[in-house]
Amino acid sequence: MDVYLKYYDLLEQPPEATLEEISKNYSDLKTLYSGDSIEITALNSDFSQELQQDYLSRLDDAYEKLKLLLENKKPVLVKKTVIMDDSLSEWINSIKCFTGVALKSIRERMGVDLKDIFAATRIQPQYLEDIENEQFRSFRAEVYLRSYIVEYTRFLSLDTQKVLADYLPRYRKFHGHNADT
Amino acid sequence: MKRGKIWAVGGGKGGTGKSFITSSMGTALALKGSKTILIDADLGGANLHTFFGLNRPRYSLSDFFDKKVPLQEIILQSGIPNLGLITGSIGSLDSEGINHAQKQKLFRHIRTLDADHILIDLGAGTHNNTLDTFLLADNMIVVTVPEITALENMYHFIKSAYFRKMKFIFKTYNLNATIQDLWKNRASHNISSLKDLITHLKESSDHIRNIFDSEMSGFAVHIIVNQVRTPRDILVGLNLKSVCMNFMGLPVIYSGYSRQDDAVQKNINSKEPFMIFNRLSPVVKEVKTMTENILTGTNISVRKDLDDGCLSKIL
Repeated sequence: MDVYLKYYDLLEQPPEATLEEISKNYSDLKTLYSGDSIEITALNSDFSQELQQDYLSRLDDAYEKLKLLLENKKPVLVKKTVIMDDSLSEWINSIKCFTGVALKSIRERMGVDLKDIFAATRIQPQYLEDIENEQFRSFRAEVYLRSYIVEYTRFLSLDTQKVLADYLPRYRKFHGHNADT
Repeated sequence: MKRGKIWAVGGGKGGTGKSFITSSMGTALALKGSKTILIDADLGGANLHTFFGLNRPRYSLSDFFDKKVPLQEIILQSGIPNLGLITGSIGSLDSEGINHAQKQKLFRHIRTLDADHILIDLGAGTHNNTLDTFLLADNMIVVTVPEITALENMYHFIKSAYFRKMKFIFKTYNLNATIQDLWKNRASHNISSLKDLITHLKESSDHIRNIFDSEMSGFAVHIIVNQVRTPRDILVGLNLKSVCMNFMGLPVIYSGYSRQDDAVQKNINSKEPFMIFNRLSPVVKEVKTMTENILTGTNISVRKDLDDGCLSKIL
């Protein structure tokens, strides 16, 4: 971790800085030390070309390392706008039954991550995954599952009523079947 | 007896507004109720008294140096409650003629002045007397303007002050020969800057590294950027912080800025203390902010997304 602290130092940011703040400072520093601002020019002999090159390459390196670190640690939690183009909506319309597998493939084709849905709905990714994998055991009462599906379909801009009509009977059948045995 | 905090305001180049900043910060401290004394140590071009509308001061530092009047007895009333003023020698043509004994005596007297804050206005340049007075201070402050020549002189001033302090410290450890030899033969050691010299010395032995850690680590200069005209000028202070650390190896604090305001010059010419007569100028608030920041040793918080727009939008 020590080495990362050095990178934060170089980028003149505290260790709790977000990737956004780091990126902003990185581009500011790069502009400052690449250009011919008065602050730099006035340094005269304290700022040779070698010193400049050395600094800029260390800065680039530090930024790359921190970017990797932060991207793996914390995915960007912003709601992506789902792009629904004609071919996609045509494909969705052709789906006969909205099973868990179908929902998963729609989501993946839209390029939406479960974490994106979590960020917007605060539904734990584990439950979202269970919906897609039809792990009906995870939902003790239909009312929970129902509310999760409403949020999920709204996020993907799907026809909520149609999805519920297809999906919920499968859940009921599972639990009815279980109750029999 | 309590010992007042000493503030020294320097910066290398003349005309950056050192006297204006010193008189205004002193006024801000006095208005807060702190007993404050201003000293004009610009021995060659004393004019701090003019900021308070005094044009022929009764006493000056000449009385202290030539007639041996104690420093405490040549304090003039500035006209502002809690604020005393010791003026420089006006028209003295021998500004560098203060000898070592006189300088030591002045420093001794400054330390025993009865005040909460003692603000010293230094002259331009990097004369040893100026640097020594700067190093005497608890708060070392430089005033610069966003112009290349002022920044050049400011960098030189900060480096000279650091180098002089370093030489003093090494002398007390009987190491002054080490530092002089090293600097004389710097080419063979691949040393081309003060930063290289510091790095080289720190790596030369644990003993020397400890000296740096214990004696030099407290060296931090407060920067004030005066006469800013655009939001970009405000960022100069932030950039200087980065540049001083990265390329000189010296930490600085960006305490504040004040904008270019014609009202300031008008007040000076009509001999009206600016902080009292011009409460509406944004400069008043800016001076108060920098004064608070120096008191607490904090950096001014500046939004980094300042665009090249109109300064009047930032209040």
